[in-house]
Amino acid sequence: MPFSRENPITVQVLGICSCLAVTAQLKPAVVMAVSVTVVVALANLIISLIRKTIPPRIRIIVQLVVVSMLVVLVDQVLKAYLYDVSKQLSVFVGLIITNCIVMGRLEAFAMSHSPLESLCDGVGNGLGYSVILVSLGFIRELFGSGSLWGYPVCEKLGLYAAGYENNGLMVMPPMALILVGVIIWIQRSRNKDLQEK
Amino acid sequence: MKKFSNKYIFLYAAILVAVAAVTLTVVSVSLKPRQLRNQEIERKQMLLRAIGIEASAAEAEEQYGLNITEDTLWTDNDGVRQALPYYIFREGVVLPFRGTGLWGPIWGYIAVDEDLTVKGAVFDHKGETPGLGGEIAADWFAHQFVGKSLLEDGVLSPIVLKKHANPNSPHEVDAISGGTMTSDGVTQMLADGVESYRSLLEAFSNVSESEFSDDVDVEEYE
Repeated sequence: MPFSRENPITVQVLGICSCLAVTAQLKPAVVMAVSVTVVVALANLIISLIRKTIPPRIRIIVQLVVVSMLVVLVDQVLKAYLYDVSKQLSVFVGLIITNCIVMGRLEAFAMSHSPLESLCDGVGNGLGYSVILVSLGFIRELFGSGSLWGYPVCEKLGLYAAGYENNGLMVMPPMALILVGVIIWIQRSRNKDLQEK
Repeated sequence: MKKFSNKYIFLYAAILVAVAAVTLTVVSVSLKPRQLRNQEIERKQMLLRAIGIEASAAEAEEQYGLNITEDTLWTDNDGVRQALPYYIFREGVVLPFRGTGLWGPIWGYIAVDEDLTVKGAVFDHKGETPGLGGEIAADWFAHQFVGKSLLEDGVLSPIVLKKHANPNSPHEVDAISGGTMTSDGVTQMLADGVESYRSLLEAFSNVSESEFSDDVDVEEYE
């Protein structure tokens, strides 16, 4: 199950780069999570549908063309409908093309499974990626900026008046890495099968 | 494994790429108007911020219409007539600036009143390093310009970015540590911009306020 036991980020440790870069706030993290889920699900579906016609010698290129096309589509749609978020995500939408989760699922799963299974696999992996991204975005925005989805939670609760201060380290990329480490730690201590011998 | 002929592979690749290209073209063309509108709104929001008005994307159009009038300065550049846009607001003019940072284009707007004192400034960039050169887009950086002057003893004098800038000097603001190349780019951009708009700034700073407001439709400010 890609949600927990085979989670692309915490178990397969793929897609770390974007995970560090876009999770300083909740909104871009959610948009990124949705974008990756859409791309990996559709790419899996398309590749699975045409898998029997793809000549093996150019299969990576074919996968790349399909993924790039989908990513550019997502990018264009974001620019048209969510302009401010697309500016925040900047190059990271384009970099979904090189996100190892996408190519990894295509090569390992979609090339050898039926369209329906592949679609589910894509959605599952996308959600596995999403759950980590959204939790990071939630934690980092709440403790780093004192807000959620741009809404100033801490200010409204009167925490600043009580002497509370935001943790500046939370908005820096290294903190995302540390948080991912903590999540992996918690997951492995609860699920002993994941621990390496 | 099934064997595919070279002919098939070439044909396959060609068709695949053609399909992808057509799809992308259709989407790109159909979304273009919306994207351009977004960019236009962003530009207007930036201009409004330079004159101290925070407008959401929804209000930007209306606020812009109420507060800003567009105008063009014609200059003679070695016999070539050049159109330079500028913007008139209640207290003075806003000049657009364009330059080059470390990684790509940078741009900004500076609002000055008739004494050529800076009322507000905003900057943005395409791809300067976040946290270093990218800081030119931050409020603290732009805020430093407020109260500075483009005039020194009646002579135009652009604002420069320096290390350890003298806070009392009307022409110096603090450069960004770690963003020297970008800061130099901003200094260069400001110098070039002031030079291009020289005739406008000189004429503007010499006319009295009443003469100036004759040019503008006062009702638009209501």
